Amino acid sequence: MKRHKLLLPALLLGLVIFAGAAASTSQGTTDGTTGAAATGEVTLSGWASSPTETKLLKAVIRGFEKTFPGVKVNYAPISGDYPAAMLANFAARKPADVFYVDSNVAPDWIKQRLLEPLDGFVAQSKLKTAAFYPSLLNGFRGPDKKIYGFPKDWSPLAMETNNRLLTAAGVKAPTTWAELSAAARKLRGKVPGGRPICLSPSWDRMLAFVYQNGGSFLNSTKTKSTVNTPAVKQAAEFYVGLIKSGLAGTPTQLGVGWCGEALGKEKAAIVFEGNWVVPFMADTFPSVAFTSNKMVRGKQEGNLAFTVSYSMARDSKNKPAAWQLIRYLVGQPGMKTWTSKGLALPSRSDVKPAAGRAAFIAAAPSARPWQFAPAFTKVMDVANNELTAVLEGKQTIAGMLKKIEQTANDAL
Amino acid sequence: MAATVVRKQRTLGSARVREAFVGYAFIAVPMAIFLTFFIYPLVYSAYISRYDWGVFGKIEALGWENYRTLVNDEIFWRAIKNTLLYTAVVVPLEMALALTLAVIVNAGIRGKGFFRSAFYFPSLASSAAITAIAIYILSADGLLNALIGGERSWFGDSDTALWSIAGLNAWTTSGTLMLFYLAALQAIPTDVYEAAAIDGAKTWRTFWRITFPLLKPGHFFVAVVSMIGALQLFDQSFIVSKGSGGPNYSTLSAVLYLYRTAIADVQFGYAAAIGIALFALIFTLTLIQRLLFGKAETA
Amino acid sequence: MAIGVAPLPGADRSIPARTPAERARRVLTYAILLAIAALFFVPFLWTISTSLKTLPETTGFDLLPDSPSLRAYREVLTEFDFLRYAANSFFLAGVITLANLVLCSVGGYAFARLRFPGREVLFMLVLATLMIPDQLRLVPVFLLLSGWGLVGGFTGYMLIKLVLASNLFFMRQYFLTIPKDFEEAAKLDNAGHFKTFWKVMLPLTGPALAAITILTFQGIWNEFFWPLILLGFGDPSKYTVQLGIAQFSFQYQTLWPQLMAASVIAILPIVVIFVVFQRYFVAGVVASGVKG
Repeated sequence: MKRHKLLLPALLLGLVIFAGAAASTSQGTTDGTTGAAATGEVTLSGWASSPTETKLLKAVIRGFEKTFPGVKVNYAPISGDYPAAMLANFAARKPADVFYVDSNVAPDWIKQRLLEPLDGFVAQSKLKTAAFYPSLLNGFRGPDKKIYGFPKDWSPLAMETNNRLLTAAGVKAPTTWAELSAAARKLRGKVPGGRPICLSPSWDRMLAFVYQNGGSFLNSTKTKSTVNTPAVKQAAEFYVGLIKSGLAGTPTQLGVGWCGEALGKEKAAIVFEGNWVVPFMADTFPSVAFTSNKMVRGKQEGNLAFTVSYSMARDSKNKPAAWQLIRYLVGQPGMKTWTSKGLALPSRSDVKPAAGRAAFIAAAPSARPWQFAPAFTKVMDVANNELTAVLEGKQTIAGMLKKIEQTANDAL
Repeated sequence: MAATVVRKQRTLGSARVREAFVGYAFIAVPMAIFLTFFIYPLVYSAYISRYDWGVFGKIEALGWENYRTLVNDEIFWRAIKNTLLYTAVVVPLEMALALTLAVIVNAGIRGKGFFRSAFYFPSLASSAAITAIAIYILSADGLLNALIGGERSWFGDSDTALWSIAGLNAWTTSGTLMLFYLAALQAIPTDVYEAAAIDGAKTWRTFWRITFPLLKPGHFFVAVVSMIGALQLFDQSFIVSKGSGGPNYSTLSAVLYLYRTAIADVQFGYAAAIGIALFALIFTLTLIQRLLFGKAETA
Repeated sequence: MAIGVAPLPGADRSIPARTPAERARRVLTYAILLAIAALFFVPFLWTISTSLKTLPETTGFDLLPDSPSLRAYREVLTEFDFLRYAANSFFLAGVITLANLVLCSVGGYAFARLRFPGREVLFMLVLATLMIPDQLRLVPVFLLLSGWGLVGGFTGYMLIKLVLASNLFFMRQYFLTIPKDFEEAAKLDNAGHFKTFWKVMLPLTGPALAAITILTFQGIWNEFFWPLILLGFGDPSKYTVQLGIAQFSFQYQTLWPQLMAASVIAILPIVVIFVVFQRYFVAGVVASGVKG
């Protein structure tokens, strides 16, 4: 009798201990600093956004290799046509293990089954995904709601203003559409050789204004295009109106390549660009003083999130090690390192951005990822071409929206 | 008597065979390369154009539907129209420029080497570098406008964008074509000129009546190569419009549309259909060119 | 001055102009030519001057940098393995040019002067290969080479460039222009086909071979698309010069001084090749053949 009584608890205890031991060897911790014994070689690819970022990334990789001595990372960025090179390698079933995926191409790459769903790894590692801004993470969820990548960083649009020109005209940084027009009117004639505002003639800027007016490009289930609606029309009229009235100019009208250059050459006092313009200005136009202000609002706040993920290839030959790398890269220490210079904004709310980025981070709740549906590049090309036609006076806004709606619905 | 006749016939016959054998041997390696890396991809493209084809292979059999969609595809026709217009302008421009440069360089002037190098220079740099420079020079407050006045952005205005690309390409390609014309000019025996000089012919007339016609195989080559290249415009179109083909569809070339469909939209099947259609167009035009001017080839 | 007329053998090119009118015309012609040449050169002067500037300076249009410095060149050669890239490009361009010279002259002769069944059809096939855009060939060619394990090394790239249809086409055209008398003479001497080709026809193609050398070398040197697809993935020690230059273009920024410095370094070998081989564009090669 006594033997049986002790045997059962002992067995149970043994089981518990055994289970605990087994569990701890196959799990990692949530911050990725200690982990299981994944080994082998992993290829990391992507493009180079700036020389400094490459240096920082290499530092992070070295940190990873120190923490996980069994894994060797082969960093192989592609300078040039990233999608073409990646697709060729995907087709040959010899892709990199971990690589960048722009939110814009994510729908296509998910649909083509190029990316590995990460939910299994997430559960296994007990990774808490709540730290990532939901709108960004959702940008990399497939239609099956699975996670196909973790956002590595992001940037929304902000309103950059030239300090000197605004002070000289006695103008304060606007916060609403009405204030924007008023400020521009006050600045008219006070920007030598340029115009008060620089607006890019493309939907990757105008869409933010559309969102601010309560409009959208697609409906929430991405089954229909909602671009031909009054809310969108109003926003487009506002945007185009600014340009046509001379209060704003396109980069080509101002003789520059993009609005960041307009800001630097002081051909515009107000531009709308993302965080990338800050290091650009520091490197190329260090003498021009400007301020990053929060994006204006229309009926509501609205913004675009340009974000890139680290994803794993479905054909990766070393998935455990690849997962280890991804987790480390988007873990707190990893992300902290390469966003420390302010070149990009962290996609986790528990990592503080570099100084002076408050205007950008404030947009997090209202920013929607810059992406649509699979095979949508053609639709966006049509959208942008129609917009330039409108600006040249060869097309009406109503006509443009109708055309875009038609092309979009065909593609869906 | 009969024996010698028979022997003659046999040697003639086997001479033919030997010639054919040598002929095939001489072209064996080139044809192998062409078949493997050009014709095979063409056949492959023809095959996948009848499917909805993704990165990993067939998704759905579509029969001729891709082509039906293509016929009704407004954007495709706009791309074809742009490409044809561009070709019609660029080819004569390039040829005239190249011939002029070749003739200048070939003539008895001093500093031949210098001028030859100068005229060839634009061809030396990569198209990306040249296009970057051109974008700078042709911007609204760029060098060109500083010289000739005006404020238009040459690449940013849908009326002038394609023609700016045409001008740019004519300028860079003329150096390459000039080399071909130069070589062809060298092949003309000088006694031809001697005879003309003896007859007292003036230089302009000598050129038009004698040199120009003798260059026919050169013309044919330059025209064909130039046209085929122009119909496949991509690099500048992509760089100038940042891939969109704008402003207002003006710089959308056929190959750019193909590229966007394949790489950005990942629709390999439809892109293949575009490619096959473009190939058919180029082939037909080249055939027409050959039929019209082909007789002149065998000088 | 005779335009379009090759100088007569023995003609003295430096006979000064006789009359004031002729002299004026000559001066005017040279002036125009120099202006045109300058036009062709200006972008390159701008390239060189940009390579000597600092990044903020590059936004202006001045041809002369404020304080020229070779910093960009130093950076390009030390921080980036540019000499290796140049060596790689040189190797590739050299091998491919040689292969083209051999295969295209032989093949061009066959298409021009040898008779074999299906010649015209096969030639149209050669022409047809020119009509297939690279972008269309991307996936099938890559799959093929990947299947053979030839991606990532030089062999794959060299293989697809071994023969360029435009070179083959050109050699054929060139052989067509050579008068048949030469071959007849060789035939009377009882020369076989290869001997005819090697001893008689090939020596007459000096200018054509020079053209092909220059154009092929430069074409491979400047090519970006296929090297990116076949070599650009991974091992930077295999990069070509153009891939190296592309490293200076980032997503939101281009390091213009370094990019221009790299471009200048990249252009130098091409210029040398051009200067060396353009001497072969010499008149009288064919003429001497006929007289002899």
